[in-house]
Amino acid sequence: MSDNYTSILWNKQKKRYDMILWAGIVLLLLSFTAFQFVLYKDITVETLIIRATALTAIVLLHIILAIGPLSRIDSRFLPILYNRRHLGVSMFLLALIHSAFSIIQFHVLGDTNPIVSVFTSNIKYDSISEFPFQTLGFFSIIILFVMAATSHDFWLRNLSPKVWKGLHMSVYLAYAMIILHVALGTLQYESHPVYWVLLILGFVIITGLHIFTGIIERRRLNGDKTDLIENGFYEVCSVRDLKENCATTVFVNGENIAIFKYDGKLSAVHNVCKHQMGPLGEGKIIDGCITCPWHGYQYRPEDGQSPPPFTEKIKTYEVKMINDMIWVNPSPKQEGTFVEPAKVKTS
Amino acid sequence: MESFVIILLSIFGVYLALGVLFSIIYLWKGISKVDSKTEESGFFFKILLFPGMCFFWILFLMKWMKSSNA
Repeated sequence: MSDNYTSILWNKQKKRYDMILWAGIVLLLLSFTAFQFVLYKDITVETLIIRATALTAIVLLHIILAIGPLSRIDSRFLPILYNRRHLGVSMFLLALIHSAFSIIQFHVLGDTNPIVSVFTSNIKYDSISEFPFQTLGFFSIIILFVMAATSHDFWLRNLSPKVWKGLHMSVYLAYAMIILHVALGTLQYESHPVYWVLLILGFVIITGLHIFTGIIERRRLNGDKTDLIENGFYEVCSVRDLKENCATTVFVNGENIAIFKYDGKLSAVHNVCKHQMGPLGEGKIIDGCITCPWHGYQYRPEDGQSPPPFTEKIKTYEVKMINDMIWVNPSPKQEGTFVEPAKVKTS
Repeated sequence: MESFVIILLSIFGVYLALGVLFSIIYLWKGISKVDSKTEESGFFFKILLFPGMCFFWILFLMKWMKSSNA
């Protein structure tokens, strides 16, 4: 969180993250290169670069897509989620190198403009075995470029969080096109089944993770509806179920609410961070403020306001305790409204 | 097919070229008027914004015009 934009908000954790990321990338590139030289002694440098960057980029893309659901299942994955944009930009750079070398290798030496050639050298869109898979790759790199180019808080603010989020959800469209690009390309050039096995395995893992996480999230959120209403309040859970400085979340009457326990008190706020819609309920109270687990944005629990000089505000809700049970009123207060915290009294 | 692709890519190319021109001027002169959080941001930050700005330049042109009128 900062008042003015900086290019990258470097800290010790981010530097370590990037070092591990790029060590992994270099290791994968070198391992694959060695493997290719063993299998194909006459392989050219251009072909090697095309294949190595393609493999590394697609592995990274699978990691990127898996992190979100994995973080929902197990909070130990959250540190990887925090700097996912670094993963995304790195993946784009590798994909860009792959695209550039592919265009140079296959489209430069003809009479036609290389970019035009990507679309016109093969127009058998009615064939599966000879499908022009290159165009799928082209459109997916455009999507990845737009995502990489807008991976900064400046874009979140200036495009609006809703538009920015929509834009970045197009990663799934890019993923689908890349899967087809690889599948249809592999069909034309490779006969070994290992490529198909790996591709299908990756797709099944990503799809399975998303479906599984979607089901458990829906059950968790819907399972919190109760039939006990007292003055518009809904019973949530026992206060003993909450750890100190942590939250429980509940979805009631269309409201996504996080209830925090801290300093012998309870406060309820909207469970969605203003920054990039991170799940505040998965964060903690640090220095007296609710801290978003994604990027560290903070809000005071009693009024949902960010501490000065920051100006972000979130909705707040009334909360009370009756016989060790936490109750919340899902009618939201206006963003930034002070609500007297409920005192924690255990019997 | 080839003519159609050439026309589309040419239009996109012109769009991007205008975006490059706009982005240079906007990042130099206009950005801090539209978003006050960029006032003390460094040169490298603006370099980071450049590619995306070439793509979304129409949106920022409208924002700049709106802030100038205001």
